[in-house]
Amino acid sequence: MAKRTAKAAPVHLRLYVAGNAPNSVIAVANARAICDEHYTLGYKLEIVDLMDHPARALKDGIVVTPTLVRLLPAPARKIIGTLSDRNQVLLALGGS
Amino acid sequence: MTPATARRAAAIAQRLAEAEATIEALLSGQIDAVVDSTTRAPVLLAKAQDALRASEMRYRQIVETANEGIWTIDENSVTTFMNGRMAGMLGYSPEEVIGMPLTSIVSKAEQLTAASNIESGRRGRRSDSALIRKDGTELWVSLSSAPRFDAAGKYAGALAMITDRTEHREAEVALRRSEEQYRQIVETTTDGIVTVNPSGQIVFVNRRFAEMLGYQPQEMIGKLATTFMTTAGQAVAKAAFKRRAEGLKDANDSGFLHRNGNEIMVNIAGSPVFDAEGNHVGSLAVVRDITESTRMQSQLMVSDRMASVGTLAAGVAHEINNPLAAVMANLDYIAEIVGQLGGSSRGTMSPAMRDTWIRDEITAPLDDAREAAERVRFIVRDLKMFSRSPTEELKGPVNVKAVMESSLRMAWNEVRHRARLVKNYDNVPDVDANEARLGQVFLNLIVNAAQAIPEGRAEDNEIRVTARLEGKRVVIEVADTGPGIPPEIINRVFDAFFTTKAVGVGSGLGLAICHRIVTDIGGELTVRSKIGAGTVFRVSLPEAVIEAAPVAPATAISSATRRGRILIVDDEEMIIRILTRILAKEHDVVTTVDAREALAMCARGEKFDLILCDLMMPIMTGIELHSEISLLSPEQAQAMIFVTGGAFTEKTRSFLSDIPKEHIEKPFDAANLRAIVQRHLR
Repeated sequence: MAKRTAKAAPVHLRLYVAGNAPNSVIAVANARAICDEHYTLGYKLEIVDLMDHPARALKDGIVVTPTLVRLLPAPARKIIGTLSDRNQVLLALGGS
Repeated sequence: MTPATARRAAAIAQRLAEAEATIEALLSGQIDAVVDSTTRAPVLLAKAQDALRASEMRYRQIVETANEGIWTIDENSVTTFMNGRMAGMLGYSPEEVIGMPLTSIVSKAEQLTAASNIESGRRGRRSDSALIRKDGTELWVSLSSAPRFDAAGKYAGALAMITDRTEHREAEVALRRSEEQYRQIVETTTDGIVTVNPSGQIVFVNRRFAEMLGYQPQEMIGKLATTFMTTAGQAVAKAAFKRRAEGLKDANDSGFLHRNGNEIMVNIAGSPVFDAEGNHVGSLAVVRDITESTRMQSQLMVSDRMASVGTLAAGVAHEINNPLAAVMANLDYIAEIVGQLGGSSRGTMSPAMRDTWIRDEITAPLDDAREAAERVRFIVRDLKMFSRSPTEELKGPVNVKAVMESSLRMAWNEVRHRARLVKNYDNVPDVDANEARLGQVFLNLIVNAAQAIPEGRAEDNEIRVTARLEGKRVVIEVADTGPGIPPEIINRVFDAFFTTKAVGVGSGLGLAICHRIVTDIGGELTVRSKIGAGTVFRVSLPEAVIEAAPVAPATAISSATRRGRILIVDDEEMIIRILTRILAKEHDVVTTVDAREALAMCARGEKFDLILCDLMMPIMTGIELHSEISLLSPEQAQAMIFVTGGAFTEKTRSFLSDIPKEHIEKPFDAANLRAIVQRHLR
């Protein structure tokens, strides 16, 4: 689910989810929709299911799901919840 | 601050922000797993799941119990959901319609609109649409739709809320029906209804109000309400409009003008009218025509007096019969004696014996007959007093005792079987009142007192009538020894139509009318009563301020007589005969029973020193004769003296008061008649 464009400032996001739990499913859908709309020059979105990779949670400092982490551009930022409030999410990600 | 501590501070701030965001997300139910720090594994939040299910169920419940139909379609206009309500409206089950295309549900004519709505539709629409039922019939609904978007913001279908318009239509019908009902009330009520705007222009009148004034409703609308009022009514309206503007309501008596110029007496109950914002937008008035009821009221007073007189008619007849019997018997006796005069037995009498015989056999019975006749005359005079019309509001000094005596004579037949009558009169001044009305009050009080006492034990009971002066007021009391009035009804005895008497005995108006009569002349009528001891009605009247009219100087009977030529006109031959008998020795008397003949004599140029004329005659009345003679010879008309059995109508009364000469009342006595005739011949 990654798109890349050479000239763009790299965008790398990681979404931690818990299997098919409803909030997680919504968060995935919302994250994709927001990214498709706003990072038209390309982005990288990683989905990490903590049910499959529980060890990654504490290692990455994740306490709840769903949590979206912006890895790039730095500094890292965390956004917690279903990402339903599009404006709030964009604000946290550093705008479009 | 070192760069190291600054970095640490920033890290702490960030973690605090994250913690805050976490809590917020938890509270809003957006979290589905928490990483357990001991097991280092994510734990699913069962509670969150439950909450979700619960909220989903709530949502479903709302959707299923909604009064509105709820319908969702996907981006291809295929039905994805329909609640039971809407499926029911269309005659389907909710399962049946899943997957059904929009075109099978929305009627063809509507599809175009629906399509354009969907295309243009980022915004919800509301429209009246026709849907198609399962059986093919149309269902008219009001439809609000809103487009739905998926997470990516793409059009994902629409949600529609549907209300059955049949119900709206029913509500509209109900509203129309209720309006119709109000219109009917407004148009059929016997009261006039009128609304005016703040400047006093008529906005609406109902048919009844227009009829009251003789107009068509549309002739009145737009005109100033005051143009239909009397001057007095306009003053009332001006004050009323002002109070309406202040938001006050009240009722007044007022006057309107009928198209034909007649004055209409009305009672107006007015209230201010406000719009939804509370602004004064005019007044509404309910107008009741009281012309009739005002007239009825005065008629009731007459009829009550007539009822009082009627009650007493039997008693009065009895009162008249006794003296009348005496008159007739005595006259028969005299006739018998005179018939025997020719006989021989008295021829031998000495002159002294003869005088004694004449006194015993003729003069004494004659005196008795005359005295009895005098009593009849009093009774008739009392009756005349009560027959006067109340419209004749003549007030003047009235002798209370005389009026009370008349009333007692009238009521005597009611009293005497029930109680002893005790009279206790002080020397009281005259009161300012109307004799007939005061008599009506006294008569009512006496009859009431009598009727309170059962018949039969007259010796044990008492009706006490007193008159005394208290300060400047004359107080008359009528007390009985009846059972008394219970305290719970004593406050109602002056109410109209309140009666304790049997049906047909009392109208319940007597005391109400008495109260009004007494109040009208500035007096007070009160009652006090004690159970077992009796009741006292008390009339307190202001002393007359006018000096009593000077008594006419006694007529000097002159022995010097002048012979005159007198015409007597009376339809009653008996009266002609007795007038002739009295006057013929001193005067030349011409008589006729027909006023037309009298007129003919005058027309022929015959001259009379005096014309004694009856007032009430068939064919031609005294009044008519007077006016005819006035045309022929005003001088001759001046010589007319009217002889009357009583001026019972207002017309005759006003006629008599306009005639300069005095009139002679029937019955008359011979000496007085001769004196009057002599006086006018001089």
